[in-house]
Amino acid sequence: MTAPARPLRLAVVGHTNTGKTSLLRTLTRDPDFGQVADQPGTTRHVEGANLLIDGQVALQLFDTPGLEDSIALLDYLDVLAPPAQRLDGPDRIRRFLDSPESTRRFEQEARVLRQLLECDAGLYVVDVRDPVLGKHKDELSLLASCGHPVLPVLNFVNAPAQRLEQWRTALARLGLHASVEFDTVAPALDGEQQLYERLAILMDTHAGVLKALNQNVLEQRALRRRDALRLIAELLIDAAALRVSCPPDEESVRKHTLTFRETLRQRESACVRALLKRYNFKASDSPTNVLPLQGERWGMDLFHPQALKDMGIHLGKGMAAGAMAGATLDAFTAGLSLGAATLLGAAAGGLWQGADKLGKRVLGRVQGYRELTLDDPVLRLLAIRQLALLHALEHRGHAAQGPIDLNPFLNKETDTGLEKAALPDALLAARSQPTWSTLNSDYTASSKRADAVAQLEQALADTLSKTQNATTARP
Amino acid sequence: MLAASPLHHCWLAEIIRLREARWGPLDDTDAVRQARHAGGSFQQRLLTRARVLGEREQLSQVLNQWHSLARVALLLLALAALFTGAATAAGALGDGSRSVNSILALVALLGLPTLTLLLWLLSAFMQPGQTSGLAQAGLWISNKLARGPNASLAPAALLELTQQRRSTRALSGVVSHSLWLLALLAGVVTLVALLSARRYNFNWETTLLSPEAFVAITHGLGVLPGLLGFSTPSEAIIRASDGLQTLPDSANALWSGWLIGCVVVYGILPRLVLLVLNVAIARKRMGHCLPDPALPGFAELHDRLMPASTPAGIDAPAPPLFTPQKGLQDHADTLAGSAAIVGLELPHELAWPPFELPDGVANLGNIDGRSERHAVLDRLYADHPAHLMIVCDASQTPDRGTLAFLAELAKPVTGRGHFLLLQSTSRGERLTTWQHMLKQAGFNKDNVHTHPQQARNWLATVVTPQATHKGSPTP
Repeated sequence: MTAPARPLRLAVVGHTNTGKTSLLRTLTRDPDFGQVADQPGTTRHVEGANLLIDGQVALQLFDTPGLEDSIALLDYLDVLAPPAQRLDGPDRIRRFLDSPESTRRFEQEARVLRQLLECDAGLYVVDVRDPVLGKHKDELSLLASCGHPVLPVLNFVNAPAQRLEQWRTALARLGLHASVEFDTVAPALDGEQQLYERLAILMDTHAGVLKALNQNVLEQRALRRRDALRLIAELLIDAAALRVSCPPDEESVRKHTLTFRETLRQRESACVRALLKRYNFKASDSPTNVLPLQGERWGMDLFHPQALKDMGIHLGKGMAAGAMAGATLDAFTAGLSLGAATLLGAAAGGLWQGADKLGKRVLGRVQGYRELTLDDPVLRLLAIRQLALLHALEHRGHAAQGPIDLNPFLNKETDTGLEKAALPDALLAARSQPTWSTLNSDYTASSKRADAVAQLEQALADTLSKTQNATTARP
Repeated sequence: MLAASPLHHCWLAEIIRLREARWGPLDDTDAVRQARHAGGSFQQRLLTRARVLGEREQLSQVLNQWHSLARVALLLLALAALFTGAATAAGALGDGSRSVNSILALVALLGLPTLTLLLWLLSAFMQPGQTSGLAQAGLWISNKLARGPNASLAPAALLELTQQRRSTRALSGVVSHSLWLLALLAGVVTLVALLSARRYNFNWETTLLSPEAFVAITHGLGVLPGLLGFSTPSEAIIRASDGLQTLPDSANALWSGWLIGCVVVYGILPRLVLLVLNVAIARKRMGHCLPDPALPGFAELHDRLMPASTPAGIDAPAPPLFTPQKGLQDHADTLAGSAAIVGLELPHELAWPPFELPDGVANLGNIDGRSERHAVLDRLYADHPAHLMIVCDASQTPDRGTLAFLAELAKPVTGRGHFLLLQSTSRGERLTTWQHMLKQAGFNKDNVHTHPQQARNWLATVVTPQATHKGSPTP
């Protein structure tokens, strides 16, 4: 193996408690990196992370302790290396690093400066909610002494009370004209790209690596979305095709409906967990209600009529009544879904095909059994909720600690098209194919099911991007 | 042979996926580590993980067992096909004691194979995506024979795998066509052997049809074999073979050539063509078998097997948290004397001074930056006020530098240093941090105020107007 080109090294620096570790969490997509708290001095050592492209280290990021004592450190530097000596920046910093105070009062600052000297550039994280102060300017002048480019990263730009303009002006006055807005909790979709692009302007020798990183960010995002849509499509096909047969008396219908609902709830929470895992967010091992999802809406039961109303889904007459909402009783479709052609195919293979299965269905028909299937509105609700979750996950930084908020997608003014319009064809097809549902005991793999999943995936992708575009286009 | 094939690995991965989907995830920490270490693409890592898990869970054994079972079953089927083919041929010719009805012999030899062939073609064209009967039958049988929950996984996984690749029909076609081919070959060999070793008389019989019909049938069927060089009896011989006349030996030889030719062309050749075609399709679709990375169960593993980042360690352990200490103990609070007030890095939104100053309180201004800090310290050492009120913005994060400066501010004060914590924005949790850190630094908690009125009252009680310094705000 040939050694790859030396990875780019970036030190993440800044005043204490501005979100340096949060930036690393978001860039590395690792919610467990380091420690995060709204307190000064949470990180007190330099901690590194390798960003990989195809298993190769492309970028090394170093989380550093916060700078807290820059004013006093500048005083000390003036004593150590008076301006009259005309030492250049890095030499002054090196003299400081050799001094006794670099292991005592300024031990933390020394770690930061040592790391920045060894790196190719620094990302200076700014909490734009803080006022611009003299100590910040002193920090920047210390960092500039290290002789490497420094790119200000403006954090918390989505916060209500922020001083973005003040910061921009102040940074420009210090000669830092390039900066990037990057909210570590809710980064813009193209936040990482912008960051790498700005860096590439500052360091054209590393433009290749940064371009590759950019490319990788795009590819991985597309991959994640494809996988997520696939997971959702599988869930919907499973739900649409689910059929539970039950004896016709009222008591067994009630009992079977409860089981039916529980099966679907568990299937939904399995999908939620899978999505969280795919986006590398932490999912507690507990069932749905303890998942970190915010809002009444999610807590609302899948089969609660109010949950449907809230989402603007048209309720059928049966649904409004509420008693056994969510499931429809069909007459038993004995053998009908098998179709003549399948029987013919079975004959070709020697008439094996699930003779017992067919027998069971015919028997059910004779005994007057009924079948439970999922109501359309609930199916719509399932689809919209999963898309809302996917939207939330795409816009969530790995530094975020609050519960996942589905409301931005759900409160949009435009319809997703799933509320009222006809259901996608693939879902309608799944309705008559009980063997397509992995929740059914007689599930059989079939390439038709795979086709339906692929079709539905495409339909969901269209719906999602249409809704997202409508959301962002709104002023 | 199979153990090393990509199909085997793929199959094993599918078994693990199904198993995890049915009965929950396996503990795969070690497998994931090995897969990450082995490297390669995501799909290759999935295979490595499956291999490690398969060995641990003894699923490889299950697979091998199932594989050898399938081999035995196929062998038995092949033997049965050989026997059936030979027996059919022997039965069609009889023992030579009575003459052979050529048309009935042909029907006995080709009837069933042709019928099944037609059914196969029909189902292949009408239901291209459906699971073929043979595959269904195989699955059904192995489910009935399966001992233990794992045993049914192997065939189910194979079905999933072949359905994903749309090659179930081709693979089952390979099996069924080879079996029929074996049977027909055995039939032809038996035919040739019997016809070589025994004397048979061929004839045709009819009650309803005319001799012309037999001439037409025989010639019609004989055209294609004729192209391959098989003999066809001439019209005279056919007319003579009405069973009422004794045929010359050469005529019987012609009839046997015609019979063999028909079996080869209408029985063996189509099966051979379809076998070759199916083998080609199956090879094309199953070759380079890699798992589908978007399948549920695989997709979630992406970030664990292909992490976006890896930790790169820390530079050195973190030192204990450094807290600046205020030097001297507080003097008596009641001591009346001069008083001053100073603001530290207050944002512009906060009015300065925060309240109307009682008479005699020196206003040292709101300070920010190095030179102002020095100026205020110089002023304090010059004036030695008895009491000092320091106003801080509790919305900012208290840092070491600030605390160290607060400790320095308190040194020249002969009485007490009091604090007023104001909040420019509502971030309550930071107020607690301030209170905590001031306490850590040695300041009395009773001297920390959060309400301007409280602070003003204290100032009013301690200040003696006579001792007023003619203070003016520092620029």
